[in-house]
Amino acid sequence: MLKKLFFLLLSGCLIIPVNRLAAQSASSGKYHSPQEVQQVLKQLGNKSNTKLHQVAVSPGGAPVTVLEIGTNLNDAPAVFVGANFEGNVPLATEGALYFAQMLLDSAIYTQNTKWYILAHPNPDASRDYFAAVKTGAATNMLVINNDADEATDEDGPDDLNSDGMITQMRVKDLEGEYIVSKNDARILDKADKSKGERGEYKVYSEGIDNDLDKLYNEDGVGGVNIGITFPHLFPYTNQEAGRYSGESPETYGIMRFIYDRPNIAMVYTLGTSNFCLVPPKGGRKGGANLESIKIPERYGRMLGIDISKSYSMDEVIEMFKARVPAGMEVTPSMVAGFLGLGATVNPLDEDMVFYKKYAEDYKKFLEAQKFNTDLLDPTPAKDGSFELWAYYHLGVPSFSMCLFSVAKVKEEKKADGEVVSMDDVEKMSTEDFVALGDEKIGAFLKANNAPEQFSAEHVKQMMESGQVTPKMMVGMMKKMPKPEKEGELSEKDKALLAYSEKEPDGKGFVAWQKINHPTLGEVEVGGYAPYLETTPKAELIDSLAKTQLPWLLKLSAQLPKFAIESEKVTDMGAGIYKLEIYVANNGAFPYPTAMGERNSQPAPVILTLAGDFELLEGKMRTPVGSLGANQVKKYIWLLKSKKGDVTATIESAVFTDAVKQIKIGG
Amino acid sequence: MARKIFLFIAIFSLALSVFAADDSKIEVPLRFDRYYNYEDVVKALEVLHAAYPDLTKLESMGVSEEGRKIYVLTINNSKTGSELEKPGVWVDGNIHGNEIQAGEVCLYYANMLLTKYGENEKITKAVDRNVHYIVPVVNVDGRAHFFDDANTPNSSRSIRVPKDDDGDGLFDEDAPDDLDGDGSICQMRIKDPNGAYKADSEDPRIMVRVKPGEKGEYTILGSEGMDNDGDGRFNEDAEGYLDPNRNWGFNWMPDYVQRGAGNFPLSGIGLKAINDYVAKHPNIIMNFAFHNNGGMWLRVPAEKSTQIPQSDVAAYDVIGKEAIKITPGYVYMPAYDLYPTYGDSDGQFFFVFGSYSLVGELFIRTQETYSEKPKAASYNDEERGGGIERDREELKFNDNVVQGELYHDWKPFHHPVYGDIEIGGWVKMSSRLPHPFMLNDLVHRNASVVLLAATETPEVEMKVFETKDLGNNLKRVRIRLENKNGLSTMTAQAVKDKLYTIDHLKVSGAKVIASGKIDDYRLDKVTYKETKPEIQFFALPGHSSAEYEFIIEGKGKVTFVYVSQKAKNVSTSITL
Repeated sequence: MLKKLFFLLLSGCLIIPVNRLAAQSASSGKYHSPQEVQQVLKQLGNKSNTKLHQVAVSPGGAPVTVLEIGTNLNDAPAVFVGANFEGNVPLATEGALYFAQMLLDSAIYTQNTKWYILAHPNPDASRDYFAAVKTGAATNMLVINNDADEATDEDGPDDLNSDGMITQMRVKDLEGEYIVSKNDARILDKADKSKGERGEYKVYSEGIDNDLDKLYNEDGVGGVNIGITFPHLFPYTNQEAGRYSGESPETYGIMRFIYDRPNIAMVYTLGTSNFCLVPPKGGRKGGANLESIKIPERYGRMLGIDISKSYSMDEVIEMFKARVPAGMEVTPSMVAGFLGLGATVNPLDEDMVFYKKYAEDYKKFLEAQKFNTDLLDPTPAKDGSFELWAYYHLGVPSFSMCLFSVAKVKEEKKADGEVVSMDDVEKMSTEDFVALGDEKIGAFLKANNAPEQFSAEHVKQMMESGQVTPKMMVGMMKKMPKPEKEGELSEKDKALLAYSEKEPDGKGFVAWQKINHPTLGEVEVGGYAPYLETTPKAELIDSLAKTQLPWLLKLSAQLPKFAIESEKVTDMGAGIYKLEIYVANNGAFPYPTAMGERNSQPAPVILTLAGDFELLEGKMRTPVGSLGANQVKKYIWLLKSKKGDVTATIESAVFTDAVKQIKIGG
Repeated sequence: MARKIFLFIAIFSLALSVFAADDSKIEVPLRFDRYYNYEDVVKALEVLHAAYPDLTKLESMGVSEEGRKIYVLTINNSKTGSELEKPGVWVDGNIHGNEIQAGEVCLYYANMLLTKYGENEKITKAVDRNVHYIVPVVNVDGRAHFFDDANTPNSSRSIRVPKDDDGDGLFDEDAPDDLDGDGSICQMRIKDPNGAYKADSEDPRIMVRVKPGEKGEYTILGSEGMDNDGDGRFNEDAEGYLDPNRNWGFNWMPDYVQRGAGNFPLSGIGLKAINDYVAKHPNIIMNFAFHNNGGMWLRVPAEKSTQIPQSDVAAYDVIGKEAIKITPGYVYMPAYDLYPTYGDSDGQFFFVFGSYSLVGELFIRTQETYSEKPKAASYNDEERGGGIERDREELKFNDNVVQGELYHDWKPFHHPVYGDIEIGGWVKMSSRLPHPFMLNDLVHRNASVVLLAATETPEVEMKVFETKDLGNNLKRVRIRLENKNGLSTMTAQAVKDKLYTIDHLKVSGAKVIASGKIDDYRLDKVTYKETKPEIQFFALPGHSSAEYEFIIEGKGKVTFVYVSQKAKNVSTSITL
């Protein structure tokens, strides 16, 4: 019933038959093992409009497959959906299967759009959740000698308390760095020497020193984490990423599959980040700013320019043009490479416009369904992640979704007066904020962990002098680490402990239990269970998927759509005509994204003309260039024609071509 | 969609253009007063292999985008040991399709090792002690097309993966055209009273920019060609462009950061095949990649944000500082000093495979002289860039030393768009390549640098230099290891990054109670190891020695073995 309602919501007045039975095969309220996932995919890939592509075999011998839905479409944009790259988020894989079933249950989503579903890109790691002993690891079976000793994979974790989980060990040690938290005896805090605290415990992951090198569990079985192996900000210093992007066949095969399909116009990722709710993070240092380029001294001398100044890319191109042989083309990437300007590392402002808009819309969408959005923050996308790569390298809108987060514990309002919230302050004018008075401003700053030098007085002065607005201040404060309140557990520990007591039947936190360890003597084993944060009870899979995944269908309905909106022919006399064509992007996303424009990766949209005429001005193939959401642009030609039609075509490797016959003359 | 179709057509039509060009006889010893096209290179490898079947192995590592085989010739004397136990020396060339003499250097190296084996002591030792992997042509399609098609000295560099350079939705549709059919892409100029160029007063073939206010004679129209796609631009979407030396995994950056990167690391299928082959040969400790030009020996890193340990720089210096004496005029420097690059093969070899990688930029054009007292060729901007004097000398060299073979004099041509123009300039086989008469010198000197590096690959000696009875059934055994050559058994970077099992000294046959590194054996200063005393992990840097002490319980035969992935393992035994 709910599902029907949602379809109604989604498609306005269209009534779509829903095959509820079919949905059962993919989502049956259980977590599927990698073998079972493969079985389901095989079934789904056997239909008239589907196909299952094998893109790689994992080092552990498991197939990595992509389910294509909409094989009947030849010239249509596609959406790529990847899930569970880290392998330890089984819910994401279930989400992908559920999503595939939603697409198959209705004809509407495959009318103009093709879909590629990658449900388990890291099948080796996905086995862990179904293993007798769960570690929570994200690594595949690529053989890596992590400790560079004479043996490989010889010192993994061990389940000392035989509870089927790898948790932690705490050991009393004079050199220990941890103490039992004063707020909750289950939690360990780092001893703060400045407060006169002295550490009592050392903390290890659960296991023995199998290779007797005094290191614990430093060389377990596997491997690399596919979720951090993509080449945007590839984390070279992290052994779990391997030595370069694409070293493991899963990553290489996935990249090859995607680049072989230039029609992929949007990418979704199901996992632990949530770009649908929290746009990709900015603020990273060291990125290339093409509008303000510093020229290194040696090139400065060569170009004969003032190196103390910064230059725009266009200016630098002009400088280089004067130096290169006649006729040689100078492109921005040539200049960027020559000067070593580096990669873009922050999402571009123009793209943040749609990310922010849709984040707000999504929040409303969830609230309308009474879905609790007061959850622990999603994990920011990791360096080398698929979702960041899709945005930065493919240059398409990349949305990620985290289907489950643990709910925050509701803060009880303090008795001594209410503190204004960040959201309220963000909306205030400077005057309103100053009018709150020192006491309320002070309480607001303290509650949100503002640095000490920002007294109410100081902030007021800054506001009054126009240095900062309430909105700017909240923007900065939101980027700061979450306040750790004195005498309280962190927000995350509070939420996880509360959750672990209820939902997973009290098994979410393994109580510390004394064990006699072969080399460490008496230790205690305990701590958060693996999968606690990411993997709710299987009964919840369907409702979580049903509430959240439809948002992705809404987004994909907003893909750019190119059309010849209108045209105008003006007779200039003597068989010469002026032709004006208006091209519209009738979608809600720009094409390409600002990042796509920067990296020139998405295939261009070209306006072509054909017919019996001679062009006096303009080209037979005109790149449409970038076209914003709901934007119309005019293109002009001057042509000489005796009679007949001009065929105008919007041609692209991404979108469905559009053709229009235009009559020239009488 | 259009992209796929185009790719198809491109691959299909190009595949048909493969044919043998030169049928002059190829036999052992190989000749180096000529250039070898792709088929000739394959033939040359085959005849070397046929002449020395016991010392060589000829394999295809994989195929290129257009289906050509990428060969590696392995030289190994199996009588002195199997391949993977010896320090491997890898030499490749011609990763850029137009940089062809790099292939001849590789062929010369193979030819020299094989034909002088048993005659020359140094060479015999290098063949017996090392294994040599020789890959004359990495970019096999690029080389084939460089010979077969009309080119400039700079074109046919890329991997044959079509790219839409001009953003019009078509791929590789507007390359230069050999209008006059001479096999080279030269320059076009047109008489133009408002042009920015005039003829040089001394040599009218040279185009000189006019000074402000001065009257011009010519406009330079750029490379020979037409506007094949009718977009008003000439030659703006030529073959490729995927630069095979920007497509490797380590520190790869996408195309918008650096042109030619390709879509993702190792997207070139031939490069991927080579990479997979190297991964299966962990004994490779020294590798050369030959390019042209400029006369340089470049070491890693290729980009300044990456740093390498000082002891690795010292190992490089052992080769680099000698190499510049063998190849006069070359400079030795870190690659980033030239310009930053990402995803190059030398980074992959060094940072992923733990091999000392050097790039050789072959050929210094200022060695093309026509002068009583040639100026010593040196690397600086003035001489590299030329200047009018240098332009005149180059042309005189062409006229008087190589009988006009490198320059195409300006000749009238009727262009379909521009009308009456002239075509002329340096031909394909000029500028970056030595004339064949200079080739022998180039290949010999550069191959000699490879041989020098082979002789500097590590060689470890081990001996027990002291045994002392400590009573209580305990013996103290002291071992000295010495690396007699200039390269470390393992790069410091590889140790730091834990790239693979760190070289180690291991004791078997008795119980080791304690062990440590001897800091000063005369003073009995020893740093003991806390765990696993029977094994000590350490690399032996070039020209260094290290001493270790083991306290052993019991009697009988005890064996010490030094295990290294790249250096040859050594062992020694004593009976207590």
